[in-house]
Amino acid sequence: MANRACPVADTINWLSDIISEGYLKNARCRQRAEEILKLLEDISSGRAGKEHLPAIHSISKNLVEESPDRACVDTGKEILYRLVTYQETFLSHLKTRNCPDAACVRLAPAPCQMACPAGIDVPSYVTLISQGRDEEAIELIRRDNPFPWVCGLVCTNPCEFMCVRGRIDKPVSIKYLKGFAAEKAMSDRLYRNPPKLPDKNHKVCIIGAGPGGLTAAYYLALNGYAVTVIEALPMAGGMMMVGIPRYRLPREVIDQEVTMIEDLGVVFRFDTRFGKDVTFDQLREEGFDAFFMAVGAHASYKAGIAGEDTYPQVIDAIAFLRRVALGNRRIPGRKVAVIGGGNVAMDAARTSIRLGCEEVYVVYRRTRNEMPANEEEVFQAEEEGVKFSFLTIPVEIKGANEKLSSLHCLRTELGPPDESGRRKPVPVEGSDYLLQVDAVIPAIGQTVDRKGLDDLQDLKWTKRNTLSVNIASMETSVEGIFAAGDAVSGPATVVEAIGGGKKAADAIDRYLRGIPHPKMPPVPVRRSRVEFTEIPASTKMALVRPEMPMLNDERRRVTFQQAELGYSENSAREEARRCLRCDICIRCGTCVDICSNKMGIDALQMGYLDFDNPGPTDFRVTAERCILCGACASNCPTGAIRIEDRGNERLLNLCGTILNRLVVEHCEVCGKVTGPAKYHDYLRKRIQGINKHLENRILCLECARKTTAESHVEITPPRILS
Amino acid sequence: MSKYYLFQDTKKCIGCHTCEVACKANKNLPVGPKLCEIVTVGPVFVGNQPKAAYTFMPCFHCEDPWCVAACPTGAMQKRETDGIVFVDPLLCVGCKTCLSACPWGAPQWNPETGKAVKCDYCMDRLDQGKQPACVTVCTTHCLQFGPAETPPKIRRERYAKAMASLEETI
Repeated sequence: MANRACPVADTINWLSDIISEGYLKNARCRQRAEEILKLLEDISSGRAGKEHLPAIHSISKNLVEESPDRACVDTGKEILYRLVTYQETFLSHLKTRNCPDAACVRLAPAPCQMACPAGIDVPSYVTLISQGRDEEAIELIRRDNPFPWVCGLVCTNPCEFMCVRGRIDKPVSIKYLKGFAAEKAMSDRLYRNPPKLPDKNHKVCIIGAGPGGLTAAYYLALNGYAVTVIEALPMAGGMMMVGIPRYRLPREVIDQEVTMIEDLGVVFRFDTRFGKDVTFDQLREEGFDAFFMAVGAHASYKAGIAGEDTYPQVIDAIAFLRRVALGNRRIPGRKVAVIGGGNVAMDAARTSIRLGCEEVYVVYRRTRNEMPANEEEVFQAEEEGVKFSFLTIPVEIKGANEKLSSLHCLRTELGPPDESGRRKPVPVEGSDYLLQVDAVIPAIGQTVDRKGLDDLQDLKWTKRNTLSVNIASMETSVEGIFAAGDAVSGPATVVEAIGGGKKAADAIDRYLRGIPHPKMPPVPVRRSRVEFTEIPASTKMALVRPEMPMLNDERRRVTFQQAELGYSENSAREEARRCLRCDICIRCGTCVDICSNKMGIDALQMGYLDFDNPGPTDFRVTAERCILCGACASNCPTGAIRIEDRGNERLLNLCGTILNRLVVEHCEVCGKVTGPAKYHDYLRKRIQGINKHLENRILCLECARKTTAESHVEITPPRILS
Repeated sequence: MSKYYLFQDTKKCIGCHTCEVACKANKNLPVGPKLCEIVTVGPVFVGNQPKAAYTFMPCFHCEDPWCVAACPTGAMQKRETDGIVFVDPLLCVGCKTCLSACPWGAPQWNPETGKAVKCDYCMDRLDQGKQPACVTVCTTHCLQFGPAETPPKIRRERYAKAMASLEETI
């Protein structure tokens, strides 16, 4: 939990102290303060509406203006001061129903949502998928990310690294579930656009049809803006199309999601390079009111080794992948060396295999542990026959007569960590050797291609050769020009570009409507509070994260067919049921503490609640000892753990997981539920020492009182001797 | 038993429930829990007359309270100085064992706080030299509170009066 206190929670604590300590002597003032407290509590629990802040404001003003004493006036003034000072946080609580400091417990966000660069409400959509409500899941995802299908296939899933289920066994397969739901909704023809807002009569020009540009186009078009997208390539998708190979992301996936954006009236101009085919001034004359630069990072860094520019068989990975994506499928050479250890290097190596290269080496100067590429990517590359040469530095590309023949390499050892925290490779003297190859593909990293942008002289750049922007508003140094995506962040991921595009769309909307920009970057929005999916504790524990079914290795080595075949409907629904609903359960551990330390029952074994030292977790053991007293549920601050009577049973339910269920006993007199036999046994055991002649009567509260009262009473008056 | 005696003169009680209202207001209780309750018994016919009785049911502050034995957290306690049985809300976790243990239904459930509440003879008021809230508001003065050594003599006197034959005898 963050150390910073949330101003909303802080104000509530302060005001309730003032009320309970009797600081406000005047009854009318106290009543007003209580009204304000109630409204504040609504805000901190996500139940507030638009009228809450104005109402708090006007009641506080009453306190200041109409109060008879100093204490009330000061209280009113302090509230008004806080409303103004922390206005943005108050508004953000209202709008996003998310308290990033987790001080407002009912608004504490799930770790997966906070990890997502696009801020998707993960637990909500995973639960919807578990309930078979795919189209609602997609509708919910698209409020934060218009590319659920693309991301379901190629996202780097930072959410899964934060997944709390990972502390029990393995993280929920969030990425693939998203892909499953998108494909299912698309194939059921239930993948639909939300309604557009009325036209705002503003034209916005977006430069670059990559994930960032398309995301901004989507949200701007939905908001009622006329959007035109300029794209240098002949098709939409940007790096998704020409960077990510088809075996990871089929073209129809991109095309279908782009079509959804086109359906909103977004106009595309392909084969149009900004600064060459069309200039900024020409676009200004066309009447565009705002511009969004999402040009990506399509230029490659040089490997900086001798011979790099000498031989035509050296082709940088970005150019190579683009060439293949655009249809040129000639092999780069029979034996290929890819230099680098990132995802682009994996893409280049696996693409080379598919084109028919006989031997493909990945040359990387550190070890497998330091590789920035996704683990799965590396694993799948290995399965396909890519050979890895770790702890290797290329020093020279050799050959003769414009024909490359070998890569001169040096072995390295890992030295002490450098400033990036990674261990620095140190060359081993005299370890030279030649790797016999006839093509070399450097995949060292990308940078922004400034061609065409340099005409805009007022545009400021960072030292890293990226566009300099205000991180809250995404506005560049030129008024009316916004930027996001790889052009701002440097080479990054699809989902980061999407997050940036969404932020920019909001900023452009504010700019064109003349509303001030926020001071802080946006907070992910809690989109829903989906009811729990019920599941027995044994199933919750027994379900395992399914392996992704793969195309067979032979086929993968020769075709660009999608390598991951996707989950079956059954395994997707099961997998979604593994989610622990961290949007509701804040893992405070109160339930466990009460059960073991206060009640001495120790029925809850939930070691995953401890982030730093996770212990063993087993939801199934609860039923062994739990007496269903309900103390855990009474003290849960968010309603994650609940106790309820259903039919003849009492159930204990943690975010849908049925931890215990027992048949209940009834009041002998009125038949009202009194509790399960195990609970009554526990009670009898505790009081048997003093209760010598135990009558095993089971009475409810009301009947206990009534029978006692009846036995005490004498309706007949004492008989008087006559 | 506690040092005190809370006496209800059932002959005088008219079942107006003012004691309940004062009790709830004093403890700031929501809908639901009634720390003291007027239980109406009847009406039944006694001869040709329908008759009802109103029994005041607070906590009896037992000598060996089952609720204290049942409480796993030590929240339910007996005050050493005067034997008042009370619940410490800071220690109560809301397991309801006291509610189920008490044969008289004295401990009650506060749904707002998720904790047990019960009659403590308004011990905060007693400590200030005041009377329990229910007693102070009783419209017919049928509730009386005091140290157990000096129990009210009403019943004795009334019985004696009834027995006395000051008028003509047989």
